[in-house]
Amino acid sequence: MSGENAPVPDSQSAFGDRFEVVTSQPLAEFSTYGGDAYTVNDKEKSGGEYYALVHNPTVPVRNEIYKSLTGKPIANLVCPVDRGLMNLVFDGRKRQRLVTIFSRPSGGALMDNSGNLNPRITASHLRQNVTLSVLKSITSLHKRGFVHRSIMPTNIYFASPNSDEVVLGECYSMPPGYMQPFAMEALPLALADPTSRGAGDASADYFQMGAALQALYFGEQLWNGRDRGSTLMARVNQGSFWALSGGREVPGALGALIRGVMADEVDERWGAEEVLDWFEGVGKPKRTTMRTWAMSRPTTFKGVAVVDRRLLADAFARDPKEAAAFLKSIDFSSWVQLSFRDEVLSERLENMINVKPDSGFGGVRADDYKMVARVCMFLHPHGPVNYKGYSFYLDGLSSMIAEAFSRDDREAISAIVEVMDIKFLQTLNDICDPHSKVIDQQIPYLRKFIEHASSKQLGRGMERVLYEMNSILPCLSQRFSNVWIGSIIQLMRALERIAIIGATRNILLDRHLAAFCATHGTDLEREFNALATAQHNPSKFNSLSMDFFGILQKRCNMEPLPHLTGKLVDGLSSAVKELKNKKRRERVQGLLEKGKKGGDITKLTSEVNMVRAQVEDAREFAQARTLIARLERERTKLSRKISPSDPDAQLKGMKGARLVAFVSGLLISFLTFF
Amino acid sequence: MAKKNKAPLVRKRRQRQEVSAFGPLFFTGLAAVGFISWQVAVLVAFGLVPTIVLAFTGKGSNKSLRLQCVTFANLSGVIAFIPQVWSRPSQLEAIMTDPINLVMMWGSASIGYMLIYVGPIVATHILQGMAQDKIKQIAQQRQTLVEAWGPDVLGDKEQEPAPNHIRLKKS
Repeated sequence: MSGENAPVPDSQSAFGDRFEVVTSQPLAEFSTYGGDAYTVNDKEKSGGEYYALVHNPTVPVRNEIYKSLTGKPIANLVCPVDRGLMNLVFDGRKRQRLVTIFSRPSGGALMDNSGNLNPRITASHLRQNVTLSVLKSITSLHKRGFVHRSIMPTNIYFASPNSDEVVLGECYSMPPGYMQPFAMEALPLALADPTSRGAGDASADYFQMGAALQALYFGEQLWNGRDRGSTLMARVNQGSFWALSGGREVPGALGALIRGVMADEVDERWGAEEVLDWFEGVGKPKRTTMRTWAMSRPTTFKGVAVVDRRLLADAFARDPKEAAAFLKSIDFSSWVQLSFRDEVLSERLENMINVKPDSGFGGVRADDYKMVARVCMFLHPHGPVNYKGYSFYLDGLSSMIAEAFSRDDREAISAIVEVMDIKFLQTLNDICDPHSKVIDQQIPYLRKFIEHASSKQLGRGMERVLYEMNSILPCLSQRFSNVWIGSIIQLMRALERIAIIGATRNILLDRHLAAFCATHGTDLEREFNALATAQHNPSKFNSLSMDFFGILQKRCNMEPLPHLTGKLVDGLSSAVKELKNKKRRERVQGLLEKGKKGGDITKLTSEVNMVRAQVEDAREFAQARTLIARLERERTKLSRKISPSDPDAQLKGMKGARLVAFVSGLLISFLTFF
Repeated sequence: MAKKNKAPLVRKRRQRQEVSAFGPLFFTGLAAVGFISWQVAVLVAFGLVPTIVLAFTGKGSNKSLRLQCVTFANLSGVIAFIPQVWSRPSQLEAIMTDPINLVMMWGSASIGYMLIYVGPIVATHILQGMAQDKIKQIAQQRQTLVEAWGPDVLGDKEQEPAPNHIRLKKS
């Protein structure tokens, strides 16, 4: 298999001709996990202030937000203006990347990445301008059905150096909540891994707004330098507001606002209405309570006495092996009765959780991880799914899979495959059903991916799930590390460029490429099934590859691809040589050579049906061999010496003799009587 | 324990006798002729003695063919005398006792025997010639196939048995 990387196209796109990204001038304040920001010059229109975000191919963008915001921008939000593919040079290496142009706020971030507060920030600023601007932007987003989930002090900017107007940074370049600090996420969402927190809801934005205001008020990066375990403990025990502030009060109206929006219970958290009331001064200070998640008696796990169910679920999730051993060592139903006196553990629920006592064989079985996941779901029904040390919301699986593939983390991918089991998900849903509908809502969506997940077949498997879930994601094949492949047409053109510099043999065996084609091309299942069965038959595989590319070229109405055609024809040389029939071989070779120059794979495959030719050739060859064998047998039979004593010779000789005797008898009779 | 040698159970198939219609036909024909002229019937019965002997003593394969051949040859020798006996029945005895006539009648049967002997030899030569022609045709067909499909069509050469002198002896 060739490992040639697709070269970057020679010419710049129209988008690339219009915008000039100055890669030597990075803008760290606008960079996100989804891409790096750079200064950009618009060659066509002057006057607008923009920055360019060069996207990271492994982080899926929120395409629906792009479509919505480019059509109708939201005030007080950094909105995308345009996007396109562009050839850029990084470290002397040319690459093709997706670049999005954003309107650029020029007043600087309210807090820079080092934690320095913008000197223009004051408490009154926070109270009047920042809160109102952020509120405007997120409510506008919520009205359109989106959430921001990247509200950080470093992602809020002054619109201009002289203006007090504040704008919220963009939220399109990465999934919701992607890689946000643990402290800056609302509690149930924060428990999930940073790559898989899911969309959340509007209240999560309000929490982030409160956390950002708190950080700006104290002028500190409140999320920095805290370990997850102690922060979680503090947040659960004291509430997020106090945990983040470290026990410091925010006095006055601003404090009331921050406490209101940072309430850990979603029911108690302030929304747009309460914040507006607060602006108008009519809102009554709302005391936030802490819903009890406490168990009746503490459970000692790994030497720590835990009282809160969420903490225990999280502790189990962090160390599933220990958790499995612990659960197997206790009498689960008695433990539940003693620890959760207010709850009745029905027999049905106990059967669903299905905690099996230690069978004495030791070690953690595959099913034990599922058992821990079920218990975690029982302990914290609003929390994420916890499996094999990974915590995720099901709607955050898409970004989690993308991140796992970007690191080629096979362990995480296999864990996701194991989770994508409809029976297991249904059990988790049944366990959390009375309290949360999150899993129930996701199961129908996941069902269509589950059939692909565990498949080893070409064009399926987790690669297929990756592209099905993240339809905007480019093809992550190593061959395309220099280019951005977002569609079948771009893929075919990239293959044409690969064909110029090297071989394209067996390219369809690349699982990423196959899955990408299967996702973006419709009704290709049959072709992939055929390719999968021919994997170990190179000549048939090459023939089917040519048919496959012919179909793609036809469907996309593409221009001739002479180099790719040439390579495909070269790949068929062994198949042609394997044709036994001389006339057929010469005819096929002639047609291939003729079609090679044209670059029209579709036409070539219609003229030369290589697969059929191979089948016909094999069948006729078998017939010819049978005929040869028969002729050989006959020749051997005829070659032996015939003697007069042979039964055949005897029979035929005597029949001849009888005929002679009869004729002579007739002759004599004739002569005698007439 | 003494082993009891059991003879293999071979079901003996009774050799099917070649059924000949010669006897019934002969005697029916003879009776019909005898009804018209008993002298002619006697002449025919006397003249066909070699055939009758063969009919009752003949064994082996192709018995029927041999009998037919001898019968036709024998009849050729007898037919020549039938008009004489038919027109002059009194000469029956003279004809039957004349040694030359006897040689003619019974000798014709020996010509039948001779034909039986020569027939297979001639047939052998003819069949051999035909086989040679057929072999030429087969070689042509084979050559055509090899030209169209290449030497692979002849099969795996390695699977062909090695010549006797290099074949490993079985221990």
